[in-house]
Amino acid sequence: MTQERSSPARHVPTYCYQCVAGPDLLTVKVEDGVATEVEPNFAAADVHPAAGRICVKAYGLVQKTYNPDRIVTPLRRTNPRKGRDENPRFIPISWDEALDAIAARLKETRDRGLHDSSGYPRLAASFGGGGTPTAYMGTFPALLSAWGPVDFGFGSGQGVKCYHSEHLYGEFWHRAFTVCPDTPLTDYVISFGGNVEASGGVCGVKRYADARERGIRRVQVEPHLSITGACSAEWVPIKPKTDPAFLYAMLHVLLHEHARDDLDLEFIKHRTSAPYLVGRFGFYIRDAETRKPLIWDARTDSAVPFDTPGAEPVLEAPFLVDGGIEIGADGHVWRHKAERCQSAFEILVAHVRNTTPLWASRICDVPAKTIRRIANEFLHHARVGATIDIEGLTLPHRPVAIVLGKSVNNGWGGFDCCWARTVLACLVGALEVPGGILGTTVRLNRPATSRQASVRAGPDGFMAYPMNPTDKERWVARPEVRNANRTLIPLVANSPWSQALGPTHLAWMMQDDPPENWPEPTTPDVWFVYRTNPLISFWDTDKIGRTIARFPFTVCFAYTRDETNHFADIVLPECTDLESLQLIRIGGTKYFEQYWEHQGFALRQPAVEPAAEARDFTWIATELARRSGLLREYNEALAKGAAGVPLKTEEYDFALDPDTAHSVEDTWDAICRAASAELTAGAESQGLDYYREHGYRVAPFPRLDWYLFPELAAQGLRFELPYQERLHRVGKELANRLHERGISWWDAQLEEYDPLPEWKDYPGLWERALAENFQVDIAEFPFWLLTARSMQYAWGGNADIQMIKEVADNVVGHGGVIINAGKAAELGIAEGDWVEVRSPLNATRGRAVLRQGIRPDTLLMIGQFDHWATPMAKSFQVPSMNRLTPMLLDLTDATGSGADLVKVALRRAKRPS
Amino acid sequence: MTRWAMIADLRRCVGCQTCTAACKHANATSPAVQWRKVLDMEAGIFPEVERAFVPVGCMHCADPPCMHVCPSTATRQRADGIVTIDYDICIGCAYCAVACPYQARYKVDAPRFAYGRASRMAHEAVREQPRRVGVAQKCTFCTDRIDPGLDRGLTPGINPEATPACVNSCIADALHFGDLDDAESNVSALLRDNKHFRMHEELETESGFYYLWEAGPNGTRRIPAYAPSGEPLRPVVGGPQPWLQRHWDWRAAANFICGGTGGGLLAVATAGLVGFGTPLAPFALTAAAFVAAGLFFVWLETGRPLRAPFQVFRHPQTSWMTRESMVAVMLLPTALAAAWLGWRDLAGPLAILALAFLYCQGRMLTEAKAIPAWREPMTATLIVSTALAEGAGVYLIAATLLVPEDVPAPAALAVLILMVLARAGAWAAYRWQLTSAPTLALDVLGRFAPWLILGGTALPAALALAALFLNGMPVVALLAALTAVLGGWALKFVLITRAAYNQGFAVEHMPERGTGVGGGPGVKPGWA
Repeated sequence: MTQERSSPARHVPTYCYQCVAGPDLLTVKVEDGVATEVEPNFAAADVHPAAGRICVKAYGLVQKTYNPDRIVTPLRRTNPRKGRDENPRFIPISWDEALDAIAARLKETRDRGLHDSSGYPRLAASFGGGGTPTAYMGTFPALLSAWGPVDFGFGSGQGVKCYHSEHLYGEFWHRAFTVCPDTPLTDYVISFGGNVEASGGVCGVKRYADARERGIRRVQVEPHLSITGACSAEWVPIKPKTDPAFLYAMLHVLLHEHARDDLDLEFIKHRTSAPYLVGRFGFYIRDAETRKPLIWDARTDSAVPFDTPGAEPVLEAPFLVDGGIEIGADGHVWRHKAERCQSAFEILVAHVRNTTPLWASRICDVPAKTIRRIANEFLHHARVGATIDIEGLTLPHRPVAIVLGKSVNNGWGGFDCCWARTVLACLVGALEVPGGILGTTVRLNRPATSRQASVRAGPDGFMAYPMNPTDKERWVARPEVRNANRTLIPLVANSPWSQALGPTHLAWMMQDDPPENWPEPTTPDVWFVYRTNPLISFWDTDKIGRTIARFPFTVCFAYTRDETNHFADIVLPECTDLESLQLIRIGGTKYFEQYWEHQGFALRQPAVEPAAEARDFTWIATELARRSGLLREYNEALAKGAAGVPLKTEEYDFALDPDTAHSVEDTWDAICRAASAELTAGAESQGLDYYREHGYRVAPFPRLDWYLFPELAAQGLRFELPYQERLHRVGKELANRLHERGISWWDAQLEEYDPLPEWKDYPGLWERALAENFQVDIAEFPFWLLTARSMQYAWGGNADIQMIKEVADNVVGHGGVIINAGKAAELGIAEGDWVEVRSPLNATRGRAVLRQGIRPDTLLMIGQFDHWATPMAKSFQVPSMNRLTPMLLDLTDATGSGADLVKVALRRAKRPS
Repeated sequence: MTRWAMIADLRRCVGCQTCTAACKHANATSPAVQWRKVLDMEAGIFPEVERAFVPVGCMHCADPPCMHVCPSTATRQRADGIVTIDYDICIGCAYCAVACPYQARYKVDAPRFAYGRASRMAHEAVREQPRRVGVAQKCTFCTDRIDPGLDRGLTPGINPEATPACVNSCIADALHFGDLDDAESNVSALLRDNKHFRMHEELETESGFYYLWEAGPNGTRRIPAYAPSGEPLRPVVGGPQPWLQRHWDWRAAANFICGGTGGGLLAVATAGLVGFGTPLAPFALTAAAFVAAGLFFVWLETGRPLRAPFQVFRHPQTSWMTRESMVAVMLLPTALAAAWLGWRDLAGPLAILALAFLYCQGRMLTEAKAIPAWREPMTATLIVSTALAEGAGVYLIAATLLVPEDVPAPAALAVLILMVLARAGAWAAYRWQLTSAPTLALDVLGRFAPWLILGGTALPAALALAALFLNGMPVVALLAALTAVLGGWALKFVLITRAAYNQGFAVEHMPERGTGVGGGPGVKPGWA
């Protein structure tokens, strides 16, 4: 029913990687040179797990392209004073002026040295969550690589609004930066606050819908009835931050209320550390000669090294070992004569002896019979002993999974949850096998392109892990970046992702309040910002604003004004999603449900002409490299694969002349050729034209590579669970290092390096921290305030897109604060009333949205709004919890993470003026 | 034959609004116009709560109320069941919008742009839809995809090029489209294998939109079901409540007020002529003025006023708006002729036309199936009876002011008393009949009832009685008449603009979500 067109419409294939749950494939309909519609890419129906479809966010891209609020020419700040209340007085300038100014600043900075007086990189860069900006920034990573050390530690929520504990412990235990059920094969899922139907992307939505239709049973355990809760068979409204107790009670049920034979003893004995013997100091009993951990062999009725061929491990017995040793921190050795010891399994059993469902019920506010039933259902559905054939290989089939959501998965208690969830999987053999939980990508281990290839034998029969050193010689005593990730967080490793996963709020916190015996805080000389808005998306946002105001030179890539680029010195308008060119990897296994049966590459290509002066990011990066004198290094970085694909390998060579500034098309043509060659083992080399026409190119990806179990079995390795001997030692060493330097402010975090996590009163921990830091009576803040992701907005940077707002408003809660309807009635609050929500830190206002699907002691603010500079969004009057949530060391766990959680008071209020 | 139908699998839908957005793209709809959207509904009381996402839009009913009421025949039904709107003849009266119990119809009176008129974006310019301005619009089932697709030998619902955009876009595979008359089609198979319902089945619209909520005996569930446990959900609350329709505002109310009063006056005046030989002319002229004013006001409300006078007469077969208009165009010249020529023989036809006009007005409301407060049969009786009461009041006023000598006051007062009592009776019957309606509508009517009974009935009746017994007190008689008239006008104003909450949405069953306790009982938010 549309009007006649003067020329036939074109359908341009491209990709959407707005959120970490992508990338997905789409086409853009172009009429008379104007993008008019976003549509699925039906040609990819057989390749893409969601049949070539994209979620609602991608439909916002047309308005994004033509948004009248777009910045379409470079801008320079003329008001030297920075602040929320300062008008930046931006004036339009030419690209030459903008790029020359930035290049001059870069050269000047470089001349003064790459590091400042505190040893921190002078150049900093902040990008949005999940690495998605990389899929839109063309060859900019090559420029950063050419530069050298860059501080990526000024985060915008990374580390506290992600799945942080899972990222770190998941990678450690099973190469699982993200953990996901093998949804196509699983029958039973317990989801603690997971919100896959809102944040799991199209693959997640499609797979779970298929699963529901075939009868999957998913139990959603969370304080409010989220989208995912709505789509689940059962909702268990648990008290916030008590999830570990629930999980420990499940462990209790499996280990104390069932016969051992109900468990997957084969898996426990041969694929975990459960049979390893542990000495009195908490470390493995080892063979004095080989230093290998010992297990008790039933065949020989003796303690033998764990890897003794043919050994039949014994899990439970009175063990007496002669002549073993324990190795503690910093190489300390205890030599034992006849030592009575326990297996790790026995310690685990004892550890959860008292964590009964009754015990947990009091903590979680969930009936004990519910917890027990769910534990029993989990075990029942695990089908211990069942097998399944995958591509000719017979594997265990354990169709049960436990998934953890945001806030469950970070901050204090996150470790407990990750550990208990993964141990539960081990007890029934449901780790990295069909139907069980899978890690779907690695970001800390290497190579990033293959989980299987990242599996290498490490110490004690486990996988190697690139732990940051804690020994005296190699410990990174002087923080390399402002969030000190390598210094404080051994588990965060040292990959290109590690900085962003460090404790990113520490970088902000220490700007104002440096701890004892720590380098002086410094601001970065140059700060690049792209596709992120920490002024809205981190915590204590008013304070972040004051910090950013001190940064001397901020360059923001931006398509509209926003709260962060309000502080920019130069604003650069890059070509947006439908205007620019880039090739990225697709398929294989990526975050969450992005595991495909294909892998390859997809092209994002200009469907329409750029708006006014907007320029392709690759052009900007190349020009900056040229003008900064880094062209050769930039081209060399490209050749090494800084833009996603190495241009030169043993099989092919498409490297570009290092001393030439290449055009956007020539650059990506070379990358496309390299991608074709990689996919065909060097046999083919189609370039940009091929990808422009087809949009993507894939090769089969073996389904067996979804599972890590076969690789571990092939290498004879075990999952490093349940006992955390290595982490225990690392924690002791880290404590030694810090104490040697007089640092005691990290001591609470060091306590998390227990071999088995102990339940701590996490809700009480929050309450005490808030009460002590703000000197308040916490009883005056009776509600827990939480947030939840919104599919329409999450990661999209699209709060200023009218259509997104319009359709998002169909989903209840986007317009205000969700309050339990019964509780609201008690307080005299009616639907739509204005309310004030006050935390010990700050207060905000919003409209009351009354629902039954939320605990009476809990409030919920969906998304992250509270805009004051972003066009359109600043008129929403929708509250955000970010302004209310403090950054506190007391609420920072050992991985450097916190959680979106704060206690608040609620009262009726007047409409804000 | 072919019967196109859509299916929403509530078990699969996650409420993401991708279909909403895809529809907006495919059909270039204006901001705030959503031919397809997904509701977010909640049932139960904490902690026993379920939440479901329910796609809605035009249901392409087999018996579409919107089509029956349409005065211009702009709304039609194709042989394949798709309900269409011809933008070129629609007059924008919005009668269809208050007749559609699925709230699927929109009317946009001026071009609307996402960031304002001054910031019209390139794609909005390319795809501007001037034909849709001021007329009714709704989901077309994407006939612009289906028809060319069929021409190319494609199968709607199977081949994306021939399938509605919302179905194509659905990331949960919750939406399906196909031919119900083909027993082998995808949709036929789905309905065979699963339990399903249609929204508002009790309204007998024979919707072409089905909701799946639980696997049937032939369903695809592989994992054994669990025995139901827990308490059944109490059907409550959350979700989009019925809202006050805004399509017909004071201008439409003015038609019922003025037209009703005019028609009632004519009826009473012709009776007076026959019974007492009173003159007709002043009353006929006054009545014609009332009727004409009413029509003028409602004409102001049409989205396409220049088109309206020519297109409104096209559908006498079923549209009471067409019939009202036809009667009006006969009534007005007849009244004028009677007044001008003084032909007493016109009294009979005039009385019949007046009553017919009133009946048409009453039936216009009863056919508005979207509005529970209107659609009860007694509404017509109420509209006619209040018109007669208003007519009796205006008759008395006009007689007192214009021809005081010619009208026997006691008779006029007696008629007034009779009429207001009859109206009160009709009101009581109407309220008795209206047992089921949105709570907010019942609240409005409940709050208005004392005013009508005391101020619009008891007061004029008492005043009229007083005037009867205190002969020679025309002021009291006039007050009686005035309160009778104002009571009727208030009644219609309240009915049209204050109690006109629409049907809202409902589901007969909450969906099964995998293997759980099964689909819960349905909900009808906003209804007692």
